[in-house]
This record gives sequence, structure tokens and C-alpha cells, in this order.
Amino acid sequence: MRPSVNRPPTPDVHENQEKEPTLQETINIKLIESGEKERLMELLRERLVECGWKDEMKAICRAFIKKKGRNNVTVDDLVHVITPKGRASVPDSIKAELLQRIRKFLVSAAL
Amino acid sequence: MSSKINSNNNNNHRINGQISLQPCPHLADFRSRHRSNPFRALQDCLRIKPPGGRAAIRRDPSEVPLCGACGDSGGGRTRLYACVSCAAVHCHAPPGGGPSHAAAHAESARGGGGGGHEIAVDVDRAELFCCACRDQVYDRDFDSAVVLAQTAASTLHAPPHSVTTPTTIRLPQPENLRKRRRVDYRPWTPDPRERSLMGSSSSPLNGTVSDSDSNSDSRSNDLLPWGLRGLNNLGNTCFMNSVLQALLHTPPLRNYFLSDRHNRFYCQKKSNCNGNGNGDGIVNRRNASNNERNNNSRMCLACDMDAMFSAVFSRDRKPYSPAKFLYSWWQHAANLASYEQQDAHEFFISMLDGIHEKVEKERRKPHSQGNGDCCIAHRVFSGILRSDVMCMTCGFTSTTYDPCVDISLDLEPNQGGSAKMASTKSNHASNGEADCLNSSQNSGISTLVGCLDRFTRPERLGTDQKFFCQQCQVRQESLKQMSIRKLPLVSCFHIKRFEHSSTRKMSRKVDRYLQFPFSLDMAPYLSSSILRRRFGNRIFPFDGDEPEASNELSSEFELFAVVTHTGKLDAGHYVTYLRLSNQWYKCDDAWITQVNENIVRAAQGYMMFYVQKMLYYKASEKQVAA
Repeated sequence: MRPSVNRPPTPDVHENQEKEPTLQETINIKLIESGEKERLMELLRERLVECGWKDEMKAICRAFIKKKGRNNVTVDDLVHVITPKGRASVPDSIKAELLQRIRKFLVSAAL
Repeated sequence: MSSKINSNNNNNHRINGQISLQPCPHLADFRSRHRSNPFRALQDCLRIKPPGGRAAIRRDPSEVPLCGACGDSGGGRTRLYACVSCAAVHCHAPPGGGPSHAAAHAESARGGGGGGHEIAVDVDRAELFCCACRDQVYDRDFDSAVVLAQTAASTLHAPPHSVTTPTTIRLPQPENLRKRRRVDYRPWTPDPRERSLMGSSSSPLNGTVSDSDSNSDSRSNDLLPWGLRGLNNLGNTCFMNSVLQALLHTPPLRNYFLSDRHNRFYCQKKSNCNGNGNGDGIVNRRNASNNERNNNSRMCLACDMDAMFSAVFSRDRKPYSPAKFLYSWWQHAANLASYEQQDAHEFFISMLDGIHEKVEKERRKPHSQGNGDCCIAHRVFSGILRSDVMCMTCGFTSTTYDPCVDISLDLEPNQGGSAKMASTKSNHASNGEADCLNSSQNSGISTLVGCLDRFTRPERLGTDQKFFCQQCQVRQESLKQMSIRKLPLVSCFHIKRFEHSSTRKMSRKVDRYLQFPFSLDMAPYLSSSILRRRFGNRIFPFDGDEPEASNELSSEFELFAVVTHTGKLDAGHYVTYLRLSNQWYKCDDAWITQVNENIVRAAQGYMMFYVQKMLYYKASEKQVAA
């Protein structure tokens, strides 16, 4: 038996990806459709304000604008400057809380 | 309308009262291509989450926008933008954060001879972005459309396109009509003539140099800041002494009286028409004081304040008896004239009222109290509160403005539920010290900032207190939100510690501890901030948004006096803590002692006095003390 001869050609990897979304994308779309993503973002926003993260970012932006002059700064520049600092300074407790919420959502969505 | 806007739009964009000088050429180009209504297509895609929620852009309410090039759904390192020309959705990441398909889209459109695809809209925020400039851009028409949709479509019942502009928010006005009030700072140094005049007719406050050879008692006194003088208790008058101590050290009030702006001798003469020797109008203090003795019938609280300021800032440290002031106040507030204990807050309101009334009588001119241009009391203490009541059915918002001389705050209800705490905690980080913040979050201690959060939080009015909606013409459930439109120079917060329960027909005092910061930023509670939180970053000129109100400098306050109360509802004692040159002093009637700031932090505050930071002469007062 040589079944492999009759088998249709394997689609190449690129095509496959376009058709079937990755697990991460599926979860993301589920989160959006259920409205959970919006709730999570609201929670995150609130937590980041509470812990002073937002003020910290604001201060960095202000300092940057002062340095560069306020007519020579774009939103893109600001995002570029604060992104590494911002990502690094999100408190672990907040990350844990969000992860917990996402896990809970996944469990409830899988049922 | 749009042509008029265009002509205004050329140079200066004003964003919540601030000017940005760079108009984006791409936005201008886009506008000129679509003259009539450039954002018409977008308006149908505006989705508002109810009520008073954020605005988002979706072609279909359940659409999950994905990048047309890579299928990215936003979040992570990218944001999603919809091209305002062709509605194509693309992701965008700042340089270094990955590819920007939105920028590529704008580029390829220009390459194909199209152009005009540079402007895109953030699908989750409904804010405009220029992919060529890589910067946020602002458009008056677009922003007013979003704000309109947001105020209108506050509930699910009303889809945005069926709405016939039910809003109280005014249409954009040309910028030059908005008065910009600002006083330029001009440094002043006295010329020789002025210098000699000042030298001859005044004595310096810190005249310790010339008098240092006097007795040792005065030298030890000179270590204390000026104006610290005990006030004798005249029979249960600690409520008055405590407030007076705070007022005597209110910087703008002190400066007003010490710079002779209300001269008691001159004032007496003016109100006393049958007085003697007032023909030439030149004030002769000696004559005038005779005059004053002859005529005690006319009472003026401001004159008594002036006398008290003179006495307290003289070099005499012996406790002072404000008997004349008390007598005048009794005449003003006859119902409170007794030797019984009174409420300090009631006294505060009543005496400001007394000072105001006198001036009003004198000038016979209509003044609006909120503007604070009527008398020194209101110029210092008066602010304006804004109250928005939004109908939960149609979204109609009615806005009212009320002048106030202080802000009365409810103590937060007993904490236990952490869920409730979370919602009141949104602005803590900007104010409190980090450790205080954590401790308050853990143990649920009430804080002044928490009280202010509660004060400005949107509050759903219950079914029993429905509000008459002008749009629906019936009483509807509504959402009420307070904010501060204009901050006073000196903010007085009164904590409602005396609780009255109508059901049990009894009053009691709440002894709960309240944490208060030494420095307070009021910016989150300003109307401009509250509205910005509701509508996002817009150049829509919000109703009543004043440039000076959004000035960050004037929203920072420093604590300078705390009136505390110990004891019960019907019997207790008031003590004031004063902060002078960053050192705390306890004023307990006639006794003044220096105290540690921890004692102040632990005290049970009843009234807190905060002054705008730029009027709190921290540095210079230190110099005087040194």
C-alpha cells in the first residue's frame, strides 16, 4: 500500500496560518466578543491609576517633552519612549490579578 | 458652520484650554477635499457604551476590528486605526514596536495618486490620528460630533442617528470670544522715593535687628513666626478662636489686612456720615480713633478683623481677647449670641457672611458671589461648583453652577466591603504618600481624597428622587455628578462629623479618623477633568471650561490649618493646628505650642484649610523665620 501517493498535497505553512487562527487569536476574539476584554481594560486602567503607574508615565512624558521642546514631539515618540519603562513597571500584583481574571474567563468560556 | 470653523481652524488648536501650535497639513488637506461634512460616514459608526461611556468606532455593533494586512486585533504593542477616507482598518505601532500597516496604507494610497488617506481614527477611542505626522490630531467638527453622540446616546434606547441634538452643551464659539484672563507677573523693586516712603511710614515685620538689644524674653519670642498669639477664651468661645486662628494665618487674607486694604479708621469714617472732621478725605489716624470711640453703634466685622490682625501681628505675645469682634459678631448673628458652645463651621460661614454683608451695603452694587469680586471673604474662599444631572432615558443633561465658600464632605460610610472601596480609589496615587496609600487600602481608613472621590463620583439618583427631565417632560431616573468649576484661593473642607438621623430623631458625632494629605492636587475634581474623563481628549470647548481652571499650577494646594474637635456633640473642645514655615503649632485658646507633624496627622480633623500652592510662601517664610 502506498497511500501517500494519493494524498492531496500538504498546504504550506503560510496558507494554513491564514485560515486557522492561532489559539491566542481565538482567545482574543472570544474576549472581545463577550465584552470581557473591555471590562478587563477598564479594570487595568483603574489599577494602573491607583498604583501611581499612570502618574509615573505622565511624569516621564512631561520630562521628555520638556527636553525636546513641545513642538517637536509626537504621540508616537512618546509611546516609543515610555513603552519599555511602562511595561517594566507594571506591578506584579496587577499582572497576577488580570491573569486570574483571564483564567476564570477561559474556564467559564470552555464550559 | 463648517466654513466658519475652517477659518478659525487655521492656526491654533485649543485642547481643553491649551493651545497647540501645529496644524497638521494632512488634516487640513483632508478637510478641503471633503468640504460639506468630512466625517459623515464616521458618525454612523460611533458606538457609545451606556451611559456616559467611552466612544468607539464600529461599522457594526458586534464587529471585531482586525488589521487588514496582518489580522492583528489590536492590544499588545499595536493599536487599530480606521482610515477616515476608505474605512480600511490597519494596525499601527510606534517606531521600534513593529510595522505600521496604517502608515503603509497612507503611503500606498499616496503612491497610487490618491492621497488623503493619512487621517485615521482610533477604533477604540474615537480619536483622530495622522499616520504621516504620526501624531494625534484634533478636529473641532469631529470632536463635537463625538461629544454630541456621547451625551445623546447615553442609553441603549436611543441609537445615535435618531437623535435630534438633545444637549445643553453650547456649539463651538470662535476662540476670540472666550475671554482669557491672566495676570502677567511683573517683578517690582521699589525706587528710592518709594523706598523712603516705605521706610518712613511702616515698621518691618521682622524688625528683630533693631530690637535685638531688648530683653531676653522678646528674643526667645522672636524664634516663633510672626502673628502667633494666643486668643483668650471668653466663655465657650473656642469655636471662634479656632476658626480665627486659621483665618489670621490664611495667606491671602493676612496679606489683605496687613497691607492696609481695609483700614478700620477709614472705614468707620466712611460709614459714619455725621462724623467730625472728615471733610478733606485725608485719614488722620488719631482723629479717626476718637471718631471710632464716639461711634460704636455701626458694626463692621472686617474692621474688627483689621484690629485683630494689627494686634496679633504686633510684637506683643500676650494672649489677646477678641472681645470686640465677638460683640460685633453677636450683633450680626443674634441667634447665636450666647455663651453656649457653637459649631465652628457655622461660625465660619456666619462670619464670612458678615464681612460680605458689610461690603455689600457699602457699595450697593450687584455682585455675583461666585466671581469672588465682591468682598475679601468671597475673593479668598469662594469657588463655583458644577452639578450635572443626566436623564437616564434620553441623556438630556442639565447643568447648574453654585457658588460655595467651602465644601462639606460626608465621611465615607463604614468600610468593610472592599468592592466599594475600589471604585472610590481612582485618584489616590496623585495625592497621597505611597505608604499611606497602601495602608489605607489595606485597613480601609477614610481619607480626604477618598471623600473627594465620592463627592465627584457619578451618583445614580434613586427611584424616590426622580428628576424632572426637560426633554422627556416627565420625572426620570437620573445620574448626578458634582465637579468644581472654579477653585477658590483657599479651599476649606468641612467634614460632616455631626450626623443627624431623622428616623431615630437623634444626632450623634462621628469620631472616625480621617487621613488628610499635607499637599493636595485638586485637578482630578475640576469640571474640565471630570468632563475629559467622560468624553476623552477633545477640542470641543466644554461649557464653562476656563483656561485658568485647567491651569495645573493653581490646582495644587497646601494644607496650612486644621481645626480639630474633641469630645461629644453637645460638649467638646476645638483646637487649631497651624502650619507656619513648615512647622506645626497647636493653638489651644491662649496657649500656643510647637508640635510634631505626626500629632497633626493623628488629629481628628473637622475643618481643613488648604491654600493654592503658589500663594503658600513656603520658601520666603522660612527666610523670615531663619
